[in-house]
Amino acid sequence: MAQGTLALGVEAVGCAAFDAGIKGAFGYPGTPSTEGFEFVEAMIHAAPEGRVAQWAANEKVAYDLALGVSYAGHRTLVTMKHVGLNVAMDAYANSALTGVRGGLVLLVADDPGMHSSQNEQDSRRLAKFAWLPVLEPSTVQECYDFTWRAFELSESLQVPVMVRLVTRLAHCRAHLVRRDVLTPTGLGVAPRETIQDWVLIPSNARRRYVDLLAKQPRMVEALAPMNRLVAGSGRQGVAVAGMGRAYFEQLSLEHPELKAMPRLEVAAYPMDPGLEPAFLAQVDEVFVFEEDYPVLEERLTFQRAGKIHGRMDGSLPRTGELTPRLLKEALSLLTADGKPASSLDLPIRAPRFCDGCGHVDAYEAMQEALRNLGVPDARVFGDIGCYTLAAQEPMSAIHAVVEMGASISMAVGAAMAGQTPSVAVIGDSTFGHSGLPALLTAADSGVNVTVMILDNRVVGMTGQQPSQALDQVERMVLGMGIPAAQVQVLTPLPRQHEANVKAMETALQHPGPSVVVFRRECIQSIRRGVLKEHDQELKACAEQACCSTEARP
Amino acid sequence: MSEPRIHGIVFGGVGGQGVLSLAQIVLEALRRSGLHALQSEIHGMSQRGGSVHAQVCFSEVPLSSPIIDEGCADLLIALEPLEALRYVAMLRMNGQLVVSEEPQVNMEGYPPLDDVYAALKKVRGCHLVDTEDLARKLNHRQAGGMALLGMASKFLPVPDAVWHDVITERFAAKGARVTEKNIEAFNAGRGLVQEAVGV
Repeated sequence: MAQGTLALGVEAVGCAAFDAGIKGAFGYPGTPSTEGFEFVEAMIHAAPEGRVAQWAANEKVAYDLALGVSYAGHRTLVTMKHVGLNVAMDAYANSALTGVRGGLVLLVADDPGMHSSQNEQDSRRLAKFAWLPVLEPSTVQECYDFTWRAFELSESLQVPVMVRLVTRLAHCRAHLVRRDVLTPTGLGVAPRETIQDWVLIPSNARRRYVDLLAKQPRMVEALAPMNRLVAGSGRQGVAVAGMGRAYFEQLSLEHPELKAMPRLEVAAYPMDPGLEPAFLAQVDEVFVFEEDYPVLEERLTFQRAGKIHGRMDGSLPRTGELTPRLLKEALSLLTADGKPASSLDLPIRAPRFCDGCGHVDAYEAMQEALRNLGVPDARVFGDIGCYTLAAQEPMSAIHAVVEMGASISMAVGAAMAGQTPSVAVIGDSTFGHSGLPALLTAADSGVNVTVMILDNRVVGMTGQQPSQALDQVERMVLGMGIPAAQVQVLTPLPRQHEANVKAMETALQHPGPSVVVFRRECIQSIRRGVLKEHDQELKACAEQACCSTEARP
Repeated sequence: MSEPRIHGIVFGGVGGQGVLSLAQIVLEALRRSGLHALQSEIHGMSQRGGSVHAQVCFSEVPLSSPIIDEGCADLLIALEPLEALRYVAMLRMNGQLVVSEEPQVNMEGYPPLDDVYAALKKVRGCHLVDTEDLARKLNHRQAGGMALLGMASKFLPVPDAVWHDVITERFAAKGARVTEKNIEAFNAGRGLVQEAVGV
C-alpha cells in the first residue's frame, strides 16, 4: 500500500531503493550521504526477507559488493559521499564496461561549500568520465521518484545509474509520497553467453568499451523526458539544474515575472545535444543556476552564442554553495530588509572533542613525548575522522590531513625523505578503510615511522557506525608484518598519562616501524550502547571457550 | 492575485541540545495543519559542541527551496542566547525571537553574559525565557526546548490539538510520564507569551 513519510533527501533515495525491491544495500559512511544507507538499513532490519544491508570497509568494497548482487540478478543500492566515489572510482568506471544485470543504483552525495569535507567536487563529472547516466533531483519527492526511475533505467540500459544529491537536498526534510513496495525478484545469475562481458581482459574490454559508447544515444533517448525546454518571452533566459532548478522555481513564486523567461531545465545526463542550440536560439543572454561545478555552463559556453552568466563569468562565486540569495543577486532582484545583525562580536563556536574523549588523552601523550624528545617543531600526519579536530588551535597536534588512509603513507614518504620522527595518526575505521595497504608498505620499507591507531571501536565522526576493524586491530597490524615487540596497546585515560608518554617515547625512538594502538570506546557510542550486544556475545563466547574467541584477541 | 507568502523559521543552538528534534516537531505540526513545509539542517564535522542550525520553510503552496534568505524569516527559536544573536539578521523587521537565557560556555571568548542579554533585549520582538528556572519549577531537567516551542507556538498557524498530538507521538516510546512532562513544559512556555502576534 502506498504511504507517506517524512524523510531527508538521502533517506528518500534509500526508501525508494527498498520499495523498488533491492536485495542488498552497501555503503561507507560520510556526510551528507550517511542517513541514506541508515534509512534503508533500518527498513531491511525491520523486514529482512532475505535482504542484506551492510556497511563496507570502504567505498570500493561497497561498490564491488553491489556489483556482485547485480551479477546474481538482483537490484542493489550503494551509497557514499563525493570523495568516497574517488575511492570507488576503479570499480565504478569499470562497471560501465561490464554493465549490470540486476539494477544497480549509486547514491552519491556531493558537499558543495565543504560543510564536512576535504574538497568540493562534482560527481556529474565522474559520471561523464565513466560514460554513465546520472540523475539530479531537486526535491525530496524527486529523490524518491528519480531513484525508482534509476532502477528502471539501469535495467533497461544495462548500466549502473548514479543519483547525485548535494548537501542542501541530502539534508532537506520533507513529506514523501511512496509507491507500493516491490518484493525482490531475482533475474538469476548472468547467463552463460554474457560471461565474457564481465571478464575485463583487454580483448573483452575493448569490445565492451565500443558497446558502451554505442549505447550513448540510447542513454540520451531514455533520459530525454527528464530534460526540457520551456518557451518564454524576452531574450533573457535561464538554464537550471538540481538545486538551481529548485531555487529558481521558488523564486518564481515570489517574482512571477521570472516565469516568463525561456528556460532550459536539466535533471539527467547525458543530455540531448540538440537542446542547447534550440535554447540558445531563443535568447541572447543566459543565467545558469546549478550546484557545484559549471557543468551545464561549460556546455552552453562551448556553443558560443550570446552572453552566459554563471560561475565562470563571475556572476556567481566560483566556489561554495549555491543559495537563493545568489540567484537574487545575479538576477538583480531586490533583497528584503531585515533586522540588523548584532553589533556584538560573536566568536565562532567550533566543533570540539566531546568531554572525556579518549583521543584527547592520546594526543596529549604524543605531544608530551615529542616535547620530551626535544622535537620543538614536530610535523604529524593526520587523517579523516573525529580525531581531525586536533588540527585546530590550541591543540594543533596534527599538521597534514589529505584523504582517508594518507597519514600512514605520507609519514612513510616523509621518513624516507629523512624526517625524524615521522608520526601518523589514524582511526580504527580509517585504518580498515585504506590504512591497511599503507601499513603493509610501512612494514616492508622498514623506515622509522610511528603509527598511532586511535581505536574507539566505531566510526565515531559520522554517528558510531560499526568499524570493520572492531577488536581486530592488533591482529591486523601483526599480520601486516610489524614485529610484535613494536606493537603496543595503550588505554588513553588521564590516569595512564605517564605510562602512555613513556610508551610513546619508546615507539618514537625505535629506528624502524612501530605501532601504538590507543583503545578506548567512543564516549558517544558508550552512551548509546552501540556495542552492548556485540560485547555481551563476545563475553558469552569467551565463557564457553568457543572457536570465535580464539580468532579474536 | 496576491503572491503566496513563504514563511521561515530559524532554529539555533549548540550540538546535542536538540535543535534538529525541535525543528522536526515543528515541521510535522505544520504539515498536519495542511501547510507545505520543508526542513533544512546544517551540522558538519563532529556534531557535539559546535553551532547547529536548522530552518523550516512553510507556505500554502508547494515549496522547493529549503533555505530562507537573510532578512526573510518570521521566527527564530534559539536554545542558547549567543547562538540567538548569530541569526538575528535572518529575521524580517517584524520577526519574533524566542530565546533561552541559559548559556552554553564551551568555547574561548564567550562575551560577558550581561552584554549578550543587553544585545538581545535591544532586538524588537525578542522573548527571553529563563529555561533553567522553568526546568527547576517544573522538576523537568529538559523542559527548556519544549517551553520555547510552547512560546513559539503563539506565532505559528498550528491548532492546539495538532501540537498535542505531535508531541505525544514524539515521546510515546518513552512512556506516558515523559509525554506528560513535555506537554506541561509546552503549556508553561505557551503561557509566557501573552499577546499572540500571528505571522
